[in-house]
Amino acid sequence: MKSKSLAAALVSLCVLAFPAAVRAKEYILTAVKPNTLMLVDAAARKVERSYVIPGEGSPLGIVVSRDGKVAYVVTNHWGSLIGIDLDSGSEVFHADFSHDDLRVRNTFGLELSPDGKEVFVMQSSVRLGQGEYEVKDVGIAVYRTDAGLNATPQRILPIPRRTTNLLVSPDGTRLYAVGWDVVTIDPADGTVLKVDKVLNWDRKDQAPPDLFGVWIQYEQTGIFANPYYTTRPGADPKDPAAARTGMLVLDLDTAKFTMAEFEDTSAIMFSSVVNPARRNEAFSVYNTLTKTDIESNRLIKRVPLPHTHYCLNISGDGKELYTAGTMSDIGIYSTETLERIGQIDLPGGNDMGGTWIRMVQR
Amino acid sequence: MKHLKPINKKARQMERLAEEGKLDEARVMQVVNGCTSTFDPGWEVDPFGGIAALCQPVEADLYGCADPCWWPAQVPDTINTHPNWSAEAPSGHRDWRNLQPVFRKK
Repeated sequence: MKSKSLAAALVSLCVLAFPAAVRAKEYILTAVKPNTLMLVDAAARKVERSYVIPGEGSPLGIVVSRDGKVAYVVTNHWGSLIGIDLDSGSEVFHADFSHDDLRVRNTFGLELSPDGKEVFVMQSSVRLGQGEYEVKDVGIAVYRTDAGLNATPQRILPIPRRTTNLLVSPDGTRLYAVGWDVVTIDPADGTVLKVDKVLNWDRKDQAPPDLFGVWIQYEQTGIFANPYYTTRPGADPKDPAAARTGMLVLDLDTAKFTMAEFEDTSAIMFSSVVNPARRNEAFSVYNTLTKTDIESNRLIKRVPLPHTHYCLNISGDGKELYTAGTMSDIGIYSTETLERIGQIDLPGGNDMGGTWIRMVQR
Repeated sequence: MKHLKPINKKARQMERLAEEGKLDEARVMQVVNGCTSTFDPGWEVDPFGGIAALCQPVEADLYGCADPCWWPAQVPDTINTHPNWSAEAPSGHRDWRNLQPVFRKK
């Protein structure tokens, strides 16, 4: 007991001796048109800094190094990945995907290795011929993050078509590719380690599920959650249970994968986030904000939103939700009650569109 | 194929090659790589047969759908041919009057 008290006293002393400067602060990182990153002080409810990204377009995927120093953003009409130093604001990485006669685009999948040394970019290529397009194989291009402003891929990992999300395990040994199935590969050489069936599931009682996974927002828990929808073959379309909504849950650390339905489909949900304080709670957005229990598979509460949001994220203490995407405001909600407790209007009033919302400690 | 009628050169070529058992010789787009290859008419009705579950307001959904060519029939191809179509309308809700129709270059 005595040693515990002593330890507690030492911790308190450290906190007092090393004030805010050394304690990481929590920020929201998102983006607006045209091509601008917004770093938002979550507690102060204000934009602390904005960064104009060189070139055309508007941001899509955003990944941030774990030290909170560099953000990598897909932009230029899905044709480039640009790294921005969040301290200096300068461009520290640039990769244009297209080259020679290949038109190459990123379609959502974007992830950073835990050590920040490699970035994984889902790419889809077409060879532009004289009178035809030739569809090439898709792949995950792996770039070194220290490759500078004219970066080219170190290697291309084969992956099935229709892959949308890429997620990495905390130890960096597994890369999960979410598409028609969740394919787990070795990021070193692309070796397939495991396949968790999604659209190809073996169930006969429900039709293949529809999954729309294009936003990554797992950083507070290391758990990827995404809603899915399925219908019952032969059911009367007027039967409320003819369509069911479920949640796909993937623990990036343990690779545990589950899919389970929790309600008759009564609302659309685009993306979800899990509560770091109570990991049985998942929250999902679209025209409503929904709270579900992913252990007992039940709907807890649903409230309407003022307008559609595509994505959301959550504070590290699990108390606040931040709804984002589409327009120019971030809605702040209590995880306990789903009550709207605040709003952050992004300066300029420009749209976030389909970009992501990430939480950054720095 | 008896209920489908080819209406362009590629489709006629596919029909002919299918009859000859050489369909592999006709290349078909298999993945979204621009608006011309996307076959998604947009969401005129929601999954419940109404419109309440569509994005609200519709302007909120504009760039989430236009930028990735989700609405290829309704808006220009912003990935390939008209990348700056929305440059004067960074807010769909506020600036939609600045969005102009586009015409094929001759």
